[in-house]
Amino acid sequence: MTFGRVVAAAALLAVATACGSGTTTAGGGGGGKVGIDHPRADSDFWNSYIKYVPQMAGELKVDLMPATNSQNDVAKLVNNVQALTGQGAKVIVMAPQDTGAIANTLQQLENKKIPVVTVDTRPDKGKVYMVVRADNRAYGTKACEFLGEKLGGKGKVVQLQGALSSINGRDRSEAFLECMKTKFPGITVFSEPTEWEGSKAASMLQTRLEQNPDVKGIYMHAGGVHLAPTLQVLKQKGLLVPPEDPKHVFVISNDGIPQEFEAIRKGDIDATVSQPADLYARYALFYAKAAADGKTFKPGPTDHDSTIIQLPNGLEDQLPAPLVTKENVDDQALWGNQVK
Amino acid sequence: MTTLTAPAPRVRLARFRDLTLVPVIVLLLVVGAILDPTFLTAGNLTNVLQQQSAISLLVLAEAMILIAGKFDLSLESTVGTAPAIAVMLVVPAAAGGFGIGLPGALVIPLALLIGAAIGAFNGFLIIRFQLSAFIVTLAMLIIVHGFLQGPTEGKTLFELPDSILYLGSAIWLGLPAAIWIAGALFAAGIFGLGYLRLGRSLYAIGGNIDAARAAGIRVDRILYGAFILGGTLAALAGILETGRLGAIGNNQGVGWIFMVFAAAVIGGVSMDGGKGTILGALTGVLVIGLVQNILTLIGVSGFWQPVIYGSIILIALMISRIAGGKAQD
Repeated sequence: MTFGRVVAAAALLAVATACGSGTTTAGGGGGGKVGIDHPRADSDFWNSYIKYVPQMAGELKVDLMPATNSQNDVAKLVNNVQALTGQGAKVIVMAPQDTGAIANTLQQLENKKIPVVTVDTRPDKGKVYMVVRADNRAYGTKACEFLGEKLGGKGKVVQLQGALSSINGRDRSEAFLECMKTKFPGITVFSEPTEWEGSKAASMLQTRLEQNPDVKGIYMHAGGVHLAPTLQVLKQKGLLVPPEDPKHVFVISNDGIPQEFEAIRKGDIDATVSQPADLYARYALFYAKAAADGKTFKPGPTDHDSTIIQLPNGLEDQLPAPLVTKENVDDQALWGNQVK
Repeated sequence: MTTLTAPAPRVRLARFRDLTLVPVIVLLLVVGAILDPTFLTAGNLTNVLQQQSAISLLVLAEAMILIAGKFDLSLESTVGTAPAIAVMLVVPAAAGGFGIGLPGALVIPLALLIGAAIGAFNGFLIIRFQLSAFIVTLAMLIIVHGFLQGPTEGKTLFELPDSILYLGSAIWLGLPAAIWIAGALFAAGIFGLGYLRLGRSLYAIGGNIDAARAAGIRVDRILYGAFILGGTLAALAGILETGRLGAIGNNQGVGWIFMVFAAAVIGGVSMDGGKGTILGALTGVLVIGLVQNILTLIGVSGFWQPVIYGSIILIALMISRIAGGKAQD
């Protein structure tokens, strides 16, 4: 089926690419046009990012071309990048969800002297001007420390994993497991491969709670897909109770979408790691403009609470991803509080 | 009563052929019980049935359409789109709706109506325009999913009216309502396709459409009915799934169609039409649900789950082929 879908979708691609998403072309700004490809249109986090892009382009006076969308398919990403360079892009911003298969494209762009800024993922091979992402391993570690402390270093936790074929799913999962092993060896972890799918998450969590009714902690890799199913399962089991109740199951999420904040305020979940959709958009365009202007950067701390690290194939600006709990959930600086 | 003795053996043989997956189910129950003590508890088996109830309605719909010799791939997209559009017609714009604000009680009828409309449109293209069912419904799979992604702009619908959450989360007489609903619809399907003239005519159409037409069966009308009923069942599956998950994500139902075909075919439904039973399709769903449950219980590594999962489906296919004794097609 998937193959068939790809074929059919490929036929529509020409149209889709030509239309783009028809966003802004915020004029002004020297240095040349910036081409941007969005990785997908079906997740809450990425849709927030997509909304921030034209806004930030206006603020930073970036000459942005109409965006393309590769719908989570690296083959489409390659085609879109070719189309963008054909239309005269001088810098490319992309978020390759498959970090291996993009290597050749990066090589071609390097040959054409077109700098590349990648968002959210770090390509395995091929030159990048700057990688803009939060440290996904830190998400896993923060979740582990939070649950470990809440549970007092013993008991059982479930982690609802993202797709293990994506670097972010793997990073979160591995860091969580490693941290649990070293810091909280008394905690048993059940890892559920949900593939970022709510339906699988609900079934797997329900089954695990049947088998181990004494599970006391849940780590969700993506609030956008895991939040509602998790709450629904907990409600059905009568486990959706305030943190003071001994039956409470501690839940920590990743993403930082408004619905997670709402659940934190209600006491349904306990924390989330806010993945900065606004900063992703801002600094992707910031570095794209800098690249167009011919600026260069060095590893070390930056002026925006982050650190640039050296990669074998470029630089990476590791943006901060704050832990959000009941104490700071109303902080207006969090992007989840700014979106409508 | 004595007059019934003559055809009895043939009936028994046919029934037996429906149940070629029963040994597989027994085997899974035994293996599961050995691997994990939780497996055979009432609570766990209830969960399996609840988890499978939505997809089972898709299998019911697909089995019916396959028996009539047609195809519908777009069912999986209807699972997400029908409830989502119905919800958007009801909820205020602030919650992601269209801002039309129809009464909340209408959300389930609206969803079913949208499912039926998608089925009718499929039927129109396939029956009236004589287009290939495979390609038509493949295109519809993409388009219908687009009608989820477009209006929602990719966002998950979190704020849902209570009425749409009810069926997927309510408990009736100690069992989830979804199990009762799926059970009742399968019972109706088994009876309808087994004994009713209308149901039997699906086999006639799937077996030889010209012969069916010559025999005076109103082929077009019945095929339209199959597609419309299929779309409606897919919408109902979407309603049950929405209640189970508590939100409508943009990938609700995406990728299900593969499992639906796997369940139907290992359950003995022929891809060429005219053969198979609803009871067989039901056993196919149960096998798939039990395998998923066992893999979760024993905690197979996520990296290897697809391999083991796919292999078990292949083995089930082989067992049903050997037990059934006839070549599959």
